Amino acid sequence: MKRWTTILGRGGTVLIAISLALLLVSIIPQINLAASVGVMPVASDQVYTISYRALTPQQGFQVEVTVEGAINVYLLEVGSEEPYPGVSMLFDNATELQEFLDANPDLIIWEYKLENGNFDHYYTPTKVMNATLVFHNPGLDDATVDYAVILTSTVAPGEKVRNIALGTTPIGIVLALPWLVNIWKQRKQS
Amino acid sequence: MGKGKPFLEVMSSAIHEDYRFPFLELFAFLYAIGTFVFASFGVTIGTQGTAQGTTNEIIAYGAVSSTLSLPLFIFIILVFKNIAYGLGSDLEKGIIQTYFSYPLRRRGILTAKLLSALGIALILFLGIQLSGLYILAPDIVLPQLGTVILTYAANLSYPLLIAGIMLLLTLKLRRGGISLIAGLVLYFAMSIISSIATVFAWASESPLGLQIISMINPSLALQQYYGGTFEFWIPAFSEVLIYTGVSYVIVAIVFFLGYTYFSRRLNL
Repeated sequence: MKRWTTILGRGGTVLIAISLALLLVSIIPQINLAASVGVMPVASDQVYTISYRALTPQQGFQVEVTVEGAINVYLLEVGSEEPYPGVSMLFDNATELQEFLDANPDLIIWEYKLENGNFDHYYTPTKVMNATLVFHNPGLDDATVDYAVILTSTVAPGEKVRNIALGTTPIGIVLALPWLVNIWKQRKQS
Repeated sequence: MGKGKPFLEVMSSAIHEDYRFPFLELFAFLYAIGTFVFASFGVTIGTQGTAQGTTNEIIAYGAVSSTLSLPLFIFIILVFKNIAYGLGSDLEKGIIQTYFSYPLRRRGILTAKLLSALGIALILFLGIQLSGLYILAPDIVLPQLGTVILTYAANLSYPLLIAGIMLLLTLKLRRGGISLIAGLVLYFAMSIISSIATVFAWASESPLGLQIISMINPSLALQQYYGGTFEFWIPAFSEVLIYTGVSYVIVAIVFFLGYTYFSRRLNL
């Protein structure tokens, strides 16, 4: 019984140590590498794209968009190894974009349909990849897009690492507590 | 009483000595921090024209190599400490003689000691490194698991060989201090010898020296396979596997010698 308490206790303290390391990693601030900011009018059925090459799991980007009118925003992924020959990432028109989306639904990381609204999204890749941000005006009226795309560099995806650390810390404490109490009792007796 | 209980007794005693609180926790913390801080997914190698493997394999190799940099050295320090000081002090203080009175064969005692000194350190190191890499880049680690495992295997064989040599030295000298120094010297000597062999290879356009070194340190052949530094030496994947296999055969022979010495020649 005592041996199991020790084994589980030490496992718990190791888990706490790893969680502390993850928490430390998660608070290392990210560095803004580049920012692309602008306001652009998007005519009916027009498509605008912003592409990023060779993003890594330690590079992400934050997208802040405010829209006047109706705009569909897509983030598309193109693998670094297979660039999908025959498909131009700079879509000339909405038909080309729609054809691409229909043919490659697995390459859509996310899509938002905005109408006189705004959104703020952060994305970190899980592999080395190219990414393209697409603005498409599906409506009949012209729209205006006020956007800010900030490319960031980080040691690790902060939120993900923090969540793992916060999840494992209580498990570590539960495992370590009986062992630590035993040690405290032993010291008190001696 | 079966042999299982004395084996566990020896092993738990060894674990208690090797990983006194908070050593294990400190090393776990350093592995975890090191994995994230040193990870790099940029294609730092593989830019030469002779590089083999796909882009994703090269990225996976580069990521594992970068995360290995300092954490591998920390792992080596832990293993060297455990073998040199753990086993060395047991021999010096006569604790090994006490173990000989247990109903357990000598090789069982050494296995228990090595499982503590090497096995637990290895499980902790690989567990944290692989989990860290998976957290960072699951879409690199999972599809390229073969490359990831091969990179770890190639990079760990030389430290394991030194650990085996240190085991032999500790058993022969019955103290750990000198074998610890010898281990550290051997570890750093490899980078010096590799550099000299590289210069010779450039000058003579012959990879013979590098090929010989690759038999004990296959990470050099793997680096050449994914990095493609030399035009005159482009090892095939099967060649890299052979170098890795040969290196582990050498490691196994050194540990076998250690077991033989401990079982038959060690007079206490």
